Amino acid sequence: MSIETDILVIGAGPAGSSAAKHAALNGAKVLMIDKKSEIGTPKRCAEGVSKEGLKTLGIEPSSRWIAKELTGVKFISPNGTSVWLNEERVKLPEAGYILERKIFDKHMAMNAARAGVEIMVKTIATGLKRSEEGIIVSAECMDQSFDIHTKIVIAADGPESRVGRWAGLKTTLKPKDMESCAQFEMARVEMDDPNSIEFYFGSVAPGGYAWIFPKGDDIANVGLGIITTKTDKTAYEHLLEFVSNCPSTQNAQPVELNIGGDPVGGMLKKLVTDNLVIVGDAASQVSPLTGGGIISAMKGGVFAGEVTAAAIEEGNYSQKRLQEYQDKCEVEMVKTFKKELKVKNYLLNLSDEELDSIADAFKNTEFERISTKEIIKVLVKVSPKALLKLGKLF
Amino acid sequence: MKVNEWCMYCGECAGVCPRSLIEVRESCLIFNENECKDCRICIQVCPVQALSKEE
Repeated sequence: MSIETDILVIGAGPAGSSAAKHAALNGAKVLMIDKKSEIGTPKRCAEGVSKEGLKTLGIEPSSRWIAKELTGVKFISPNGTSVWLNEERVKLPEAGYILERKIFDKHMAMNAARAGVEIMVKTIATGLKRSEEGIIVSAECMDQSFDIHTKIVIAADGPESRVGRWAGLKTTLKPKDMESCAQFEMARVEMDDPNSIEFYFGSVAPGGYAWIFPKGDDIANVGLGIITTKTDKTAYEHLLEFVSNCPSTQNAQPVELNIGGDPVGGMLKKLVTDNLVIVGDAASQVSPLTGGGIISAMKGGVFAGEVTAAAIEEGNYSQKRLQEYQDKCEVEMVKTFKKELKVKNYLLNLSDEELDSIADAFKNTEFERISTKEIIKVLVKVSPKALLKLGKLF
Repeated sequence: MKVNEWCMYCGECAGVCPRSLIEVRESCLIFNENECKDCRICIQVCPVQALSKEE
């Protein structure tokens, strides 16, 4: 058996579904495959997105996949000092939602289907070779092995991406660039404000941070990300410690465990080769500072879909033609990611005491608005060390 | 490589394998042991310590 298509999208997460949808909307014949039997499961992230991000992508919020609308954010330093900012005090342009990813990812894939994309689940790519016409991807679905002949591949196969490597792209990550994450979805979480997300910094999560993201009622995602080169414990062991010590989770009980890697080293240098582009987590299109990647992955997906469809129409699938995709991603993401990477590296070198003193200074600071950029601006104001390291960035 | 029963197939090991030797399926990991240089980065990054080396 063999299948022919213009564009093969490998991986049906938010990046893959966005790419597939926009390629189909722009006239290409698109097949999207996913190795899982159910798109969107298991979830691998804390499920937070900004309102602004969804708006930019033209995605209308739906009660079917929004678990919670957020109105505040709380930062907690190692000694428990908290800085709580909510809509009553400041403007929150980056306020957002907590999604129900299992439904959201399916919703995105369904929209791709409605745009004309053919979808195969439980279908894994097992190899890739070049042909005169393009690329032949070997695949397996249940007990069937077959070839997919395609002009262009969009690799959206997550941080464990092998497809880009098969095509000669350097997608292997160093452990220092891969946040190791563990998360419980829990009930009976007792939050001071169930409308605010909470971030915990310091040795509670070496190289990263811990979070509590409310999902309505007493339910929340309670998780953390660590850099494994900075600790001898696993992410799961740190999570157990956090849940055991955090006041909000003393009575909480888990109903789900999620684990996974988050590529936080900044976008990969090369996303494009002849007949192939990589998007989303596979391309490290993730904020190095926050680890958030849903919106940036979908933006990458839109660019990939549009550029590859245009390449199909022109009959030119060369690296040179597809470079337009990389150029768009660089304009949209790289400048910000580079700044965030510098801030992250600065924050990683702070002791718990230094984080406590910054939290103290933040408590007495008036914020005009809350965004990642604004918080870093305030950080530079309150910390002479931050001013020296980051003063020129913002 | 021993893949313990509690592996959740998240793929973090595959993402850091410098030789791209790990294939992550929905409910199994496939290691190309013949090419493995024993760097053990995959063991180091696993969020739940599901991997161990069979000595």
